[in-house]
Amino acid sequence: MKRRSIFAATATAAAAALLISACSSSSGSSGSSTTTPTSTTGTAAFNAGITSVVNPSTHKGGTLTYEVRGTPDSFDPGNTYYAWVLDFDHLYTMPLFGYKSCPGSCGLQLVPDLATNMGTTSANGLTYTVQIQPDVKFENGTVVTSQDVKYAIERTYDRSVLANGPTYYQALLTDPTYPGPYKDRAKNLMGLTAIDTPNATTLVFHLQAPFPDLPYVLAFPNTAPVLPSADTGSNYQLHPLSTGPYMFKSYTLNKQLILVPNPNWNASTDPNAEQLASEIVVNLNINQADLDNNLIAGNADIDAYGAGVGPAAQARILSTPSLKADADNPINGFARFVYLDTKVAPLTNLHCREAIEYAANKTTMQTAWGGPVAGGAIASTIMPPVIVGYKSFDYYNALSQPNGDLSAAKAQLAACGQPNGFTTAMAYRSDNPQETAEATALQASLAAVGIKLTLKGFPSGPYYTNFAGDPAYMSSHNIGLAGGGWGADWPDGYGFLDELLNGNAIAPTGNTNISMENDPVINNLFTKSSTLSGAARTAVWAQIDEQAMKDAVILPAVYQKTLLYRNPATTNVYVQTYYGMYNYAVMGVNS
Amino acid sequence: MAVPIDVATGPGGPEPEAPLSVAGKAIEGRSLGQIAWMRLRRDKVAMGGGVVVIFLILVAIIGPHLVQNPDTFHPNLINPTFLRPNGFFGGISLAHPLGVEPETGRDLLARIVVGAQYSLLIAFFSTVLAVVIGTFFGVIAGYLGGWVDSLIARSMDVFLAFPLLVFALALAGVIPSSAFGLSGNSLRIAVLIFVIGFFNWPYMGRIIRGQTLSLREREFVDAARSLGARTPYILFRELLPNLVAPILVYATLLIPTNILFEAALDYLGVGLYVPTPTWGQMLSSAVQNGYYSIDPEYMLVPGLTIFITVMAFNLFGDGLRDALDPKTR
Repeated sequence: MKRRSIFAATATAAAAALLISACSSSSGSSGSSTTTPTSTTGTAAFNAGITSVVNPSTHKGGTLTYEVRGTPDSFDPGNTYYAWVLDFDHLYTMPLFGYKSCPGSCGLQLVPDLATNMGTTSANGLTYTVQIQPDVKFENGTVVTSQDVKYAIERTYDRSVLANGPTYYQALLTDPTYPGPYKDRAKNLMGLTAIDTPNATTLVFHLQAPFPDLPYVLAFPNTAPVLPSADTGSNYQLHPLSTGPYMFKSYTLNKQLILVPNPNWNASTDPNAEQLASEIVVNLNINQADLDNNLIAGNADIDAYGAGVGPAAQARILSTPSLKADADNPINGFARFVYLDTKVAPLTNLHCREAIEYAANKTTMQTAWGGPVAGGAIASTIMPPVIVGYKSFDYYNALSQPNGDLSAAKAQLAACGQPNGFTTAMAYRSDNPQETAEATALQASLAAVGIKLTLKGFPSGPYYTNFAGDPAYMSSHNIGLAGGGWGADWPDGYGFLDELLNGNAIAPTGNTNISMENDPVINNLFTKSSTLSGAARTAVWAQIDEQAMKDAVILPAVYQKTLLYRNPATTNVYVQTYYGMYNYAVMGVNS
Repeated sequence: MAVPIDVATGPGGPEPEAPLSVAGKAIEGRSLGQIAWMRLRRDKVAMGGGVVVIFLILVAIIGPHLVQNPDTFHPNLINPTFLRPNGFFGGISLAHPLGVEPETGRDLLARIVVGAQYSLLIAFFSTVLAVVIGTFFGVIAGYLGGWVDSLIARSMDVFLAFPLLVFALALAGVIPSSAFGLSGNSLRIAVLIFVIGFFNWPYMGRIIRGQTLSLREREFVDAARSLGARTPYILFRELLPNLVAPILVYATLLIPTNILFEAALDYLGVGLYVPTPTWGQMLSSAVQNGYYSIDPEYMLVPGLTIFITVMAFNLFGDGLRDALDPKTR
């Protein structure tokens, strides 16, 4: 009797443990081995991918497998703002401009992609003309015309259909109130008067004010041509018509995307992309730890999200020399921070926000992002040092007292009328282990001064569309803080700060100015910057950064470094500096 | 010839007779409880389980006041490059007898003890709920028979077939932040107790129904009926006291099931809010983030704790059943 009951109890516990572990494993992983793969010949070494091409090769064939945590905001090139998707889009789109595919600072050069030249600006700076290549085709053989490019830009105006992406066109071009082609009654849906298409290969842009960085704005995949007859609005993401080296074969939402080579792609028109692998598979919604195990075991090739491995894999990789040789630890140019929403009480009061700035324990937040080696240096400004115009300053003792300045925080709490602290909520992406750890660390450090944070996790796919990026949602649910990260849209202060801090960038959905910052000082500085040039213009960015930090609208965490792992079977692997992650447009695999 | 009789002679005459005795003690009939207790005492394994159960309950009640704050980060104990605890086997030291968590440095002993509070609380109250509902319907079904029995028995089948885990997951997604005057963790605890208890009642119901079916043929029931007792009286004043034994036994066996269930729900993310420590959540973090590969102790501590708790309750419950139910001897 007793022996049976012990067995029964043990069997129950074991079965339960098995059940629990079975529930957790996701569909993507096919089991992981503990043997470390031997690296193929090539220049594989730690950080080799930052300055050189690892495993250069023209070998065609094989299946390249990407895995990613969570889901993209959208694979529709007109509806995305995640850096990894902007990188990945070059596999099936040809925007007007792009970045030269090469490692190091070479990769920051803007070059024409669909365009034939860098375009010309009129003398008064209000008109910009550019030509496109005449013989680029969609995957169905239709030749691309300038009207397809105009249409691609037009459809981004309707944020009720395509919520994500930058707001530059409305801010810079004439005709900002254009309602979008879905409500357009003009002939051929060409109602946007800000762009003219005098012939099939020419585009003319009309600006509200001179803006010398316009080509950078046109490097977004939302300028990749879209055939109006093929546009299905919010369903276009299921099968965007390709102009790049690959095209969609199948896409199961939230599960898997399969790309195959596009027969109508002409390599001579697109020197910054390659068509090497015979199939590209992207597995979505993979748990980060499983993903890391898959990478190390060789069952997956690249983590497409590009923000680095999780904490357990970080420890394994950095302590195992054979794994470390297949890893890169770049500064990815991103800043990680927490938005403080100025429209949610009591964060409406500056001193309450300053209390958070002082009380936060930056060391534990840095550990959450991977520590100083793999995660990056503690930040005290919004712009990271890699951005032209960066200036170092520290208003809240983030660098001098990285564990938090509790006495200053308490003084600020008294000043805002909440001497015993207050309660609010924080949004974060629950499928992002680093952001989850950051939220937990911030909750613990703010509790020391009586600020109680309720943590609300959301999936990363709809994070900007429906939750943190929806000002009405944030207000109605009393969510005062939101985890966030930012990379420059282009490598200067405007490209970094505008969508974060300009009052004009606030949008009802897909909002990236989550702090709802609308400071006239900052707005005027942005406007003024377009009239300046050279050192005077560069100096403006630091002024905006300082003003925003004085307004305490963002709590900086780290100037991010990431630990990326490349499967030794992959070819042509290097970090594309603009994205801060591997260049997905040129990779192949040794089959 | 006269046999000398040993009679105590004294001024008052012979003493009144003393009752018969053995070894100076009075013979009394032993009650059922005493018999069961003696049998239980002889069962060393069950007693061991019982001791552990009592210890766990004490830990859950007093422990949280004795250990340090489970939410305090200790970044100085973590290696900043490898994110794992410095030192031997997960950072065991005098200050942290069970080590610390990787990446955060929170004390594991404190988190286990506070987690015990939540696990045992939820398991206990959900068991009470299941027992109350199960006994109520089981007794009615067993005694009344007929269409009432059919109805209740079929409902039990439906509840047993219900995909409880899936339902709990779905429910967790739609619970509002506050309802019925509760919010935050209190609401979550209430929902967990309700879900686990409400869907576990058939487990008790079936057993009680079976017991009632056999009890209702006994003579004392007939006797009560012939004296004019109505059904509620028979159900709750005649049958129920005789059902206390199986109720107690199967309740003790239901608690570990509910502990495991609550751990599973925490593991799947529908448990209590971060940073509340619960055993299932700690296991989940160890597995989901892959910490088991660099700091196995972080997975072993909550895993072993759940194992020991479940086993202790199971052994004690089995021993109780053996002691109370003569037929299983």
